[in-house]
Amino acid sequence: MSFLEVFQYTRQDSIIHRLDPRAKLFMAIVSAIVSLIFLEILPLLIILIILIPLLVAAKSLRRWLRSMKGLSILLVFILVFNTLLSPAPNPLNHSIALTLRLIALMTSFSLFFLTVHPDELSQALIQMRVRFEFAFAMSMAMRYVPTLAQEAYAIMDAQKARGVELDKGNPLKRIRNIVPIIVPLIIVSIRRALSIAESMESRGFGASPHRTYMNRLSFKKKDWVVVFISLLVLVLTIYIRLYIPLYVWSLPF
Amino acid sequence: MPLIEFQDFSFKYYGADFLALKKVNLTISEGEYVVITGPSGCGKTTLCRTINGLVPQFHRGYIAGNVLVDGKNTRDHTVAEMATIAGLVFQQPENQLVTLNVEKEIAFGPENLGVDPVEVRHRVEELISLLDLEHLRDKHPHEMSGGEQQRVAIASILALKPKIMVADEPTSNLDPKNAELILDIIAGLNKRDMTVILVEHRLDLVSKDASRIVLMNDGRIVADGTPRNILVKDLCQEIGVGVPKATLVYKSLKNRGIDLGSVPLTGEELATLVKEAS
Ligand SMILES: Nc1ncnc2c1ncn2[C@@H]1O[C@H](COP(=O)(O)OP(=O)(O)OP(=O)(O)O)[C@@H](O)[C@H]1O
Ligand SMILES: [Mg+2]
Repeated sequence: MSFLEVFQYTRQDSIIHRLDPRAKLFMAIVSAIVSLIFLEILPLLIILIILIPLLVAAKSLRRWLRSMKGLSILLVFILVFNTLLSPAPNPLNHSIALTLRLIALMTSFSLFFLTVHPDELSQALIQMRVRFEFAFAMSMAMRYVPTLAQEAYAIMDAQKARGVELDKGNPLKRIRNIVPIIVPLIIVSIRRALSIAESMESRGFGASPHRTYMNRLSFKKKDWVVVFISLLVLVLTIYIRLYIPLYVWSLPF
Repeated sequence: MPLIEFQDFSFKYYGADFLALKKVNLTISEGEYVVITGPSGCGKTTLCRTINGLVPQFHRGYIAGNVLVDGKNTRDHTVAEMATIAGLVFQQPENQLVTLNVEKEIAFGPENLGVDPVEVRHRVEELISLLDLEHLRDKHPHEMSGGEQQRVAIASILALKPKIMVADEPTSNLDPKNAELILDIIAGLNKRDMTVILVEHRLDLVSKDASRIVLMNDGRIVADGTPRNILVKDLCQEIGVGVPKATLVYKSLKNRGIDLGSVPLTGEELATLVKEAS
């Protein structure tokens, strides 16, 4: 699952990291739309050629390359099967374009998730009028996933010590083996949730309708520049799509 | 006027079949350092929850009597209203850290109550330097040790500027060194005029700082007084309270006819008394 790393925040200090998450979200969405508009090799390559320097600026190129390497088997798979099975007139061209589109889509969103701290993300959502409780629930999920995972491992060890053979038997038996892990995990989690609720209640969670935020996000000049350029690109590509024929550039096979 | 006043207070959790607190009468004034101790299940946690209104606002059940905290009856005020009067530190540190870094955690309480962002930032910086949390600033709670987590939890409570700090066995999941650090922080808060109520079993670590020990058993307060008066009682050993070794030595000496004059709470005090006597 190493390719998922490109969607995981990395603590860095870069120009891209310092941009407002809302500007980056807009940029990611535009770049995803553009990747979906085209199914020709050349424009998709251009998108990637634009995105890669941005990854460099975010000091995350190596991580991206590593994930792409992890993904390469899947990409080759898509390439080969599409070429063999596609009904398109020039199947190789078609499947290369499909593969490039997948890479471009992933890269667009990875640029967002690599550089936006979950706290910033929830703050951005709040300032985009999402209710605090929902945004907070999301950040709490991030907070407690590692704790829960640790607990699951502890329970697994405890059950193994009592003789439950977790990784033996046919698939059906293995699925049944999850029960002695899940049931205690749920019980423990409910108890933990109560205790967390007590602590949050004691600190006034949800008490004031006028909750304040210590770190509010504010749009700076550079964020407006990013939004403006993204918008320009969007308009331009839609224009190209509608009025300029591109089939002449495709591979003949 | 006393800061906390329990008037014949009884409480039974919803669904339980016995009272967790039975006709408790207790008065605590400003600036006191009260240690609450007693065997497991005797109602210490319930007593703590009562002080900031979690009982009866969050944990429902049968109530009799009243609890007044800073003049407010806990029956009529929400937990959030009590938050700036009494802060509660719990046993498991990881369940008290609900955000992704230390700054956010400390800011959580004041933000919830709508404190001005500039003031919130001010409190955060103040507490980070007071509790020495600078190196943890950007860390995920999962990357901190239990002692560090508990320090952050204390900071996040202090951010609400409460008059009373209630700590329910804050050291029970910590190693001795970290436990001592946390207890030192709590004693330090008391020296800055904060009223402290601490549930603790390791009386050897806290009785030198405490101004008062409250002994509970089976939902009742069975003894209440200064550490030197309470710890020499036979009752302590009967219900199984961790009396400091030095005090035990004093007691056995006394039983054999050697009176040291005053009750020692630590090894050092005992050594001085023995030196004086010989
Ligand atoms: N949420 C709850 N619902 C029902 N009963 C409870 C609840 N919490 C505690 N009790 C019961 O109330 C009684 C007092 O519990 P409390 O937690 O106050 O004891 P304690 O002195 O803190 O014990 P410990 O030293 O184990 O922490 C116990 O009998 C307990 O089972
Ligand atoms: Mg308890």
